[in-house]
Amino acid sequence: MKVWLGLGAVLVLALVVAACAGHDWASPADLVRAIAGDQALRSRLLFEWRLPRVVAAAFVGALLGLGGTIYQGVFRNPLAEPYLLGSAGGAALGATVALLVPLALPQAWLLPVLAFAGAWGATVLVIGISRVAGAVDAAGLLLAGVAVAAILGALRSFMMLALSDETVSLQVVLSWVLGGVQTPTWNGIGWILLITAGCIGLSLTLARRLDVLGLGETMATAFGLEVRRFVMLAVLAGSVIVAAAVAYGGLVAFVGLASPHVARWLVGPLHRPLLPASALVGAIVVVLADAIARSALPPAEIPLGLVTAVAGGPFFILLLARRLRT
Amino acid sequence: MSALVAENLRVTRGKSTLLRQISLIFDATESVAIIGPNGAGKSTLLKALAGTEAPTEGQVRLGRRNLANLTAAERAQTIGFLPQHFEPHWDLGVAELLEIGAGRARNLPVDALDRTTAAFELGGLERRRWSTLSGGERARVLLAMVLVVDPPVLLADEPAASLDIRHRLDVIRALAARGGQRLSVVVVHDLDLAFSFFERVVLLAGGELIADQPAARLVADPRLDEVFGVRFERLRTGEGWHLRACR
Repeated sequence: MKVWLGLGAVLVLALVVAACAGHDWASPADLVRAIAGDQALRSRLLFEWRLPRVVAAAFVGALLGLGGTIYQGVFRNPLAEPYLLGSAGGAALGATVALLVPLALPQAWLLPVLAFAGAWGATVLVIGISRVAGAVDAAGLLLAGVAVAAILGALRSFMMLALSDETVSLQVVLSWVLGGVQTPTWNGIGWILLITAGCIGLSLTLARRLDVLGLGETMATAFGLEVRRFVMLAVLAGSVIVAAAVAYGGLVAFVGLASPHVARWLVGPLHRPLLPASALVGAIVVVLADAIARSALPPAEIPLGLVTAVAGGPFFILLLARRLRT
Repeated sequence: MSALVAENLRVTRGKSTLLRQISLIFDATESVAIIGPNGAGKSTLLKALAGTEAPTEGQVRLGRRNLANLTAAERAQTIGFLPQHFEPHWDLGVAELLEIGAGRARNLPVDALDRTTAAFELGGLERRRWSTLSGGERARVLLAMVLVVDPPVLLADEPAASLDIRHRLDVIRALAARGGQRLSVVVVHDLDLAFSFFERVVLLAGGELIADQPAARLVADPRLDEVFGVRFERLRTGEGWHLRACR
């Protein structure tokens, strides 16, 4: 119970700090005024632009935390991360199409939809390939994922070279690929809230079976789990969650990898507490990283993925070192 | 009453035949040891009996039902399976492992967890993590996980092979003793233990059933020497048998 209250308190604190942070720093009193409905320009900017983005960052982080936990649970590998099965490459390709190919649809709507479709489509493709190849175990999935990711990456690079005639579009694509939370309207926030709540519910239905799978395939089978079918189901569920995160936040590195580990230190390895804890940790990390991205080098904005990678890289190395030592 | 019946089991993998023409009938209460040299098909037979690997031909019946027609959940409740190696991927606590084991039963008596904890002397271990347990403690935890739902059938694949002699004796004894109230079928490497503690012994070699007899009878059978490719000196001991192999 203490852990949950602590995580909740840290998240609230992170939200407040992040809402204050920016190239124009606000005080908590400014925030209260903005939320109360003050019509001054500064208050309206805070309410219409900064607050929705901070809240969206929390949801993106939560989704990444969930996705990472599911992938690590399915592959029973602490180094698994949510972009493992080509979903990052697929999402980036979708976003590149949305940003570079002239289509008669509004980009604000097209970008998340195509990014989602790319992430989901790539995962389904990987599962399909591994099935056709007869490699239905986790190692076969991984190999297919690596191959598909390489192909998608090459396609994206080619499109960026062939389709961009002005340097501006290229920069837009790059900054998206490096991660950055979109600023939604408050209506949009409602949608993200619904999606995130749905994803938490979806992942909790997998919790008990992820625990059983963690005993190893032989024991899981003996304990009544249909391992192959469940692995496919969980990978599909995980990829929906990751695709949603990608649609709203671009490719944010390391959060999906690190959150489950931090959460495991806090609440242990059983998935029912682990999934929500990992979502909370992810939310805290992305909210803070987004605050740094917005306020470190004003007036420019550092891509979020760079911030998380610079902080996450050392974490990853630490993790590897710990693992090698045991 | 027969609890578990194997009818003409045949298992092939690729071009090699791992089991051929195996028919066995097991009672609802008895202790059976499966023995045989390496590659005899012991583990394959156990997996087919457990329903985790479907036979190429033939069928396994559980009571009156074909094992293949049971749902995975029904199978998991009725048949407890102890694998040769067990290493959970996450460093779970003992209480958590028991909880996962108990999760496969639909209506578990409220005191099942407490009774299992007491029966396997796990009190005081509940808060320990798997990585901190000794080999003997791990064996007890694994047994407790599998037996917490009290399955009518227990199939064990050399679960004690890596333990020191005292713990191996404890585990094999516990498994054989369970044959008093339930069906307990155990793949045993150590012939002394197989003949000393089990009522019935099944001898496999090269995927075929060589002999299936009460332990007291099979121990004198010359086919034993033939199958293992040695000459056994059979010594009667206070507790059972000691088989010493000579060339």
